[in-house]
Amino acid sequence: LPGAAQWALASKSSTQNLAYAKRSPQALPAAKTSLKEAVDQLKRQYNVRIAFREGLLNDKFVAAADNSATGLESNLGQLLPAFGLGFKRITAQQYVIYAAASAPAPGDHIRGRVVFAEDGTAVPGASVVLKGNAQVGASTDADGNFDLKIPDANDRQPVTLVVSFVGYSATEVVVTNRSAPLTVKLAKSDQALDEVVVTALGINKQKRALGYAVTEIKGEDLTQARENNVANALTGKVAGVNVSGLSTGPGGSSRVIIRGNGSLSGSANNQPLYVVNGMPIDNSVPGLAPTAGGGGSNVDRGDGIASINPDDIESITVLKGGTAAALYGSRGGNGVILITTKKGRAQQGIGVEYNGTFTAESISVLPDFQYEYGQGDGGVKPTTLAAAQATGRRSWGSRIDGSTDYVGVDGQTHPYVAQKNNLKNFYQLGHTATNTVAFSGGTEAINYRFSVADLNSIGILPGTRYNRKTANLNLSGKLSPRLSFEALAQYNLEVGRNRPSAGDATANPNWSPYMIANTADVRWLDPGSNASGNETVWNDASVATNGYFVINKFQQNDRKNRFIGQGSVSYELFPSLVVKGVVSQDHYDYDFSHITPTGTLYALTGQYVGIKSDVTELNGLLTATYNKQFKNFGLTVLGGANRRHSELNELDQFGVGFTVPYFYSYNNLGSSTTQALSSRQEVNSVFGSADFNYKSLFYLTVAGRNDWYSTLSPANNSQFYPSVNGSFILSDAIKMPAAINLIKLKGAFAQVGQGAPDPYAVNLTYSNVASSGQPLQNVSSNTAGSGISGITNANLGPVLSTTSEGGIEGQFFGNRLSFDLTYYNRLTDRDIVNSTISPTSGYNSVYLNAGRVRNRGVEFLISGTPVKTSSFSWNASYNVAYNDNRVLSLADGISSINLTSTVGNWAYINNIVGESAFEIVGTRILKDAQGNTVYNATSGFPVATGLQPLGKSVAPLTMGFSNDFRYKRFSLNVLLDGKFGNKVFSISEVYETRLGLLKSTLPGREAGLRLQGVTQTGDVYDRTVPVSGLRLYYDNYKNYSELFLHDGSFIKLRQVIFTYNLPAFHISSFKLQSATIGFVARNLVTLLRHTDFDPEQSFSNSNYQGLESIGLPRTRSYGVNLSVKF
Amino acid sequence: CTKDFAEINTNPNAVSTLTPEFLFTKAEYDGVSNTLFLLLGTMQYTTSFNDVAGFGSKYIASQVNSSSSSFSSAYPGALNELSLIINAVKDDPTRVNLLAEARIWRVYCYSRLTDVYGDIPYSQATSGYTSNLFTPAYDAQKDIYADMLKELDEAAQSLDPAKATYGASDLIYNGNTTQWKKLAYSLMLRLGMRLTKVDPASAQTWATKALAGGVITADGDIAKVTYLSSGQIINQNPLAYQLYNQDYIAANGSTNQEGGKYQDVFINYLKQNRDPRLGVVSVVYTGGSPNVTDTTFAKQQGMPANLSAKPANFAQLSEPNPRTVLLRGSPFLVFTAAESYFLQTEATLRGWSSSTPAATLYANGVSAGLRQWSLISASDGTIPTAKINAYVARNPLVTGSLAQQMQQIYTQFWVAIFPDAQETFASYRRTGYPALTPNNYPGNATGGQFPRRFLYPLSEQNLNATSYAAAITRQGPDNLLTRVYWDKQ
Repeated sequence: LPGAAQWALASKSSTQNLAYAKRSPQALPAAKTSLKEAVDQLKRQYNVRIAFREGLLNDKFVAAADNSATGLESNLGQLLPAFGLGFKRITAQQYVIYAAASAPAPGDHIRGRVVFAEDGTAVPGASVVLKGNAQVGASTDADGNFDLKIPDANDRQPVTLVVSFVGYSATEVVVTNRSAPLTVKLAKSDQALDEVVVTALGINKQKRALGYAVTEIKGEDLTQARENNVANALTGKVAGVNVSGLSTGPGGSSRVIIRGNGSLSGSANNQPLYVVNGMPIDNSVPGLAPTAGGGGSNVDRGDGIASINPDDIESITVLKGGTAAALYGSRGGNGVILITTKKGRAQQGIGVEYNGTFTAESISVLPDFQYEYGQGDGGVKPTTLAAAQATGRRSWGSRIDGSTDYVGVDGQTHPYVAQKNNLKNFYQLGHTATNTVAFSGGTEAINYRFSVADLNSIGILPGTRYNRKTANLNLSGKLSPRLSFEALAQYNLEVGRNRPSAGDATANPNWSPYMIANTADVRWLDPGSNASGNETVWNDASVATNGYFVINKFQQNDRKNRFIGQGSVSYELFPSLVVKGVVSQDHYDYDFSHITPTGTLYALTGQYVGIKSDVTELNGLLTATYNKQFKNFGLTVLGGANRRHSELNELDQFGVGFTVPYFYSYNNLGSSTTQALSSRQEVNSVFGSADFNYKSLFYLTVAGRNDWYSTLSPANNSQFYPSVNGSFILSDAIKMPAAINLIKLKGAFAQVGQGAPDPYAVNLTYSNVASSGQPLQNVSSNTAGSGISGITNANLGPVLSTTSEGGIEGQFFGNRLSFDLTYYNRLTDRDIVNSTISPTSGYNSVYLNAGRVRNRGVEFLISGTPVKTSSFSWNASYNVAYNDNRVLSLADGISSINLTSTVGNWAYINNIVGESAFEIVGTRILKDAQGNTVYNATSGFPVATGLQPLGKSVAPLTMGFSNDFRYKRFSLNVLLDGKFGNKVFSISEVYETRLGLLKSTLPGREAGLRLQGVTQTGDVYDRTVPVSGLRLYYDNYKNYSELFLHDGSFIKLRQVIFTYNLPAFHISSFKLQSATIGFVARNLVTLLRHTDFDPEQSFSNSNYQGLESIGLPRTRSYGVNLSVKF
Repeated sequence: CTKDFAEINTNPNAVSTLTPEFLFTKAEYDGVSNTLFLLLGTMQYTTSFNDVAGFGSKYIASQVNSSSSSFSSAYPGALNELSLIINAVKDDPTRVNLLAEARIWRVYCYSRLTDVYGDIPYSQATSGYTSNLFTPAYDAQKDIYADMLKELDEAAQSLDPAKATYGASDLIYNGNTTQWKKLAYSLMLRLGMRLTKVDPASAQTWATKALAGGVITADGDIAKVTYLSSGQIINQNPLAYQLYNQDYIAANGSTNQEGGKYQDVFINYLKQNRDPRLGVVSVVYTGGSPNVTDTTFAKQQGMPANLSAKPANFAQLSEPNPRTVLLRGSPFLVFTAAESYFLQTEATLRGWSSSTPAATLYANGVSAGLRQWSLISASDGTIPTAKINAYVARNPLVTGSLAQQMQQIYTQFWVAIFPDAQETFASYRRTGYPALTPNNYPGNATGGQFPRRFLYPLSEQNLNATSYAAAITRQGPDNLLTRVYWDKQ
């Protein structure tokens, strides 16, 4: 169970009064393991909860061999007595460790016994504290007895004791007669809801106090079957979190959407905010995400979250809505993913952890082309080199008959047979090796953890490489009882080579293996260049670059140096009031170059594209927190101020024509331009929140925030927005049947504001256009590369997103079964959209407060433990979420906004009132009322309808089903996930139709294709397309978008992890604490799909999803993982 | 806490006020480069065996949307730039020449657009920023023509040699107001003559007015945008650059990226007439060797437009001469003396002018058409005067019917105006000459007829649906066969 409680939270400051055995560490010279680690290990191994008072296990160390017994209780029995500790089994899953014997205390005492209400048995290890003075406390012994010394100040006064125990409701007892025997009965409460989760600004809150949906994932769930990009590892794990990993090779980006697209703007960031240890990090893609129509250097350069090493992650908390994230302000509106990194712990010696993973990757789905008619045109196969080159990507030849007069693009004669292994032959087995070593340790005053990691990937495309080095240092300390600090430093060096491009044909290495004629072996194109280094011709279109030429001659290098630094100091001004200051900066320098070599057929003298940029995200945060417990009320008040400054400085270089051929330097270009781009914005904020709790039964949080945005005009740049959320523990308020452990009701209302996503959108500006002659000037928004994409609007006001949510959580049957149901309604109003407008307006797009978009839906999680014995357990968890996304309105008089389109305008992504945001739009074949195809009698082709909405680009229904099986030291994790209800437009299939590769192009190959229907005037239309005209006939299909539209639904076996926990404590000579070996696999099998390609085939993490292009094929990965702790 | 926001939200790389001169240079470049290059194929100068690149000469149905490219780029380019200049200078009497020249150039740009597409946004266009007008109405071409002619008239009269000019920022005339006046009246002549089919009376009115105002006749007055041979791409002749970079850069006659060659129709005509321009505009690569070219008459051979695959003799076929047509530093001729003389010849034959005999005007046009290649390249484009005179002598204006004379004038016009195929396309539709045979390529969009206009961008159906629908209702279906206003049958 995640977030296992430590009872300490209920009585944090009472530890110093506890009497427990403190053995000298010197007594155990061989010891390396802290007792706490040993207990934690047992918790994981046996999947139980073990409660103990915070600090009780500190400064205690065990020999590595101490845990030689088998079975949890034997182990505990072996470990604990030496420290004067005892343990007790409370339920099948729950144990408690307590100080076995308390020394008698002198003075005025209250003595008593704590028992369980349900059976009257003793509660060992329960906390008893004096109300109003938590410094005075004790814990019960094995028999449930306690002995609390009351300070003189309370002499002869009635006192109230607070008795608490993990999993049980805290009980207050008023003691007037201190000599009377006292028995306190503790009633069961829920356990999971006592869990503590990290919420906004890094504040720990009890889960029961939250009025909104939060999900936490432990770091270890991310490290075994690892994804290079840790965000992809969230796939299927959290209800309502829609994760799309991209198939762009190692070092690629991810796209995460929580509760739907909240903004209609193409350039808006609809992804959640990533926050590391309380402070935001940058998640931008350098040089922007690839586009559907781009070519050349149109590559996915990797996003910001890709830099985080999963081994450094302690836990990830997903705050789903604006409700959870109101404290993060404008960028929290799409949800927040909080990453808490691992910290050092006070321990003897140095803790060393090693985690290594090796995975191999292979293509997940191979296309199923037609293999009846081979290379050629008009039903004729090529028998000369010229004909072979003219038809290199045309499978419009004669019937594949094995004849031997067939000539390929290599000029050789080959048997005319199907070549079904072009993909396998072109791509290779990719592999990734990840190694992380972490050192941790510390004293009472200062703790540290330092890790170094190396990730090295070889892509399935030969020549594609990605290397990521990460060093992460976390220092924290308590310098005095009041002053503490924390410092985090992460350095990344990411180096990418030859990332594959997608989109259009130019420089796209994937074109050759996919589009080559079906009787040609792609290896005939190898090496792609002639003796002088120029590209060799393989087809009729020079823009369809020879894939081997791309692999062997194109050069693409990128390097990102990133440093994330964070420092915080907190000081307790006086009891209950803590002031904290945090400064963090995430900065990277990025250098990218892409060289189209001399001799490239579509750019004979070569081209150069370079990006040099630096990105900074700087945040300063000051908070003051006040905590106070009144009689029945708890109160926490938080106030703060935040300044966020983000900045991008970029130089874009472009040039054509290498003066000295084959020499690739920017200085060697015949014509070159360098364009400076700058983007700066700042948001200043003040915020406050107050948490109330009444008898731990009702919880209420009220928060408000005011933001000032630099991107809006001064008249409109201030915005206040409030939020409120609460929860009610119904099962504590009303007596429930025994089977019900918990019923919690929750509700929330929150608003989140937002400024303009892009700066400089207030006033029209003019940019210099690079010229070798007279100076040239243009409107910035119409100047390519100026960084301003739309005409400006001085009246822009802030966006307001309002989320309401409510839900119920329940736990049953001794917590063997639990569920969590949440309904939400999120309305984004006055959304700022950079809307594409008719170019006849003089401009291509305009910033408008253009829309209202609604996301509403339900999220449901059910989890349980169907089987549990001492040696075998099966935990299952199923989550499902449905998000209904709808554009409610756009700017006045506008019912449709175009955002992007494919190459050739074969399909569009539009926002249309009444449809989903980012709807796929295109044409269909026109039918008359009787369903006959309507033909244009002049051209002889079917008539295309006007543009119509064709389907959602984002799946509304998502689900995940996770199963954990444990048998003794073995465990097996199986994760299935699925998405349903979205459409995918396949650009590949447009080409595969035009080129005669798809089975749908088979009709008519033998005797021509008969077309029957009606003309536009209603007359009968009947003609036969001759075999010689078939290619042009099918080529014309690109004008009917519906033919290439598919249901994108799928179910995948996403992850399988099979692990074996080595009996680590046996290997004393190696001083191993633990070792786990795992066999891991990701994206193993697609169990359901409606496409001939992987339905998740995606090349861009921009808002424009639902377009498949000729990108790198998606892969499955499998390998081994070894995790060792010393 | 917001006091530095104004500075933070100011783009450090852009200025907040425009410089009319700099925008005007850009508008001249943009106005010229926004040419529908595919018309070179339609007017049977060039072709390609490749479907996509060969659209112009084959009008394949599946490629029709490529014909909308110049519509989409015209407005955010030259048209918006000119409207910004006009707004900036219109109230300043000292900058009246800046205003007038911007108005004249805007007419040139709009006329190029409406001639290809018909009804287009005009009166409400380029008002996205000033009036928040994002869906401008399409004006009827009749009204656009009326306004363009009025604009030329007003602008020509407002030019004042005593006032400031664009100076060196004007790449056409270096700010010379006298020459701009000639260009204005020349464009008035061109647009006026455009109306001969639909409204002869107006045509006569405007042609007469233009001739009275004074049109371009001297070689030194030819309106041409000058370019540089190297440096930024925008500073290079867009037509030459496009042809060179997209098709003929390999300079070996063989590995032309887009499979382009001269079309046999054009080459055959030049050969038949022993036209001295053949060797100027066209070369054959001998043996496929890079840069070994031959301009001899006998070896010249064009490519048929009905091919769907690379022919075996591809390397031996004629293609544009890298020393003239493909010279990136050569000027683009916007309005030539030849065109002016041909239009005057027609006006005279129609009886609208009688100052000079038609035969003389025709002969002046033919010789001006041969001489103008020396503007492209003094070394490789200059045709000896003797050869010019001989050619002119061989090709006098026939004394036949007006139809025969029109055929002769506009066939010669076709050769003389090359490579400005867009103007040929207009005069072909108006006069029916040269008498070209349309290409009935399989799968063509017109049933084997010449296109009469090109398509609006699909995006207009999406972004400007109401205005688009109104234009279709008025003008006819958005296909290649609908005729524009002045192309009335």
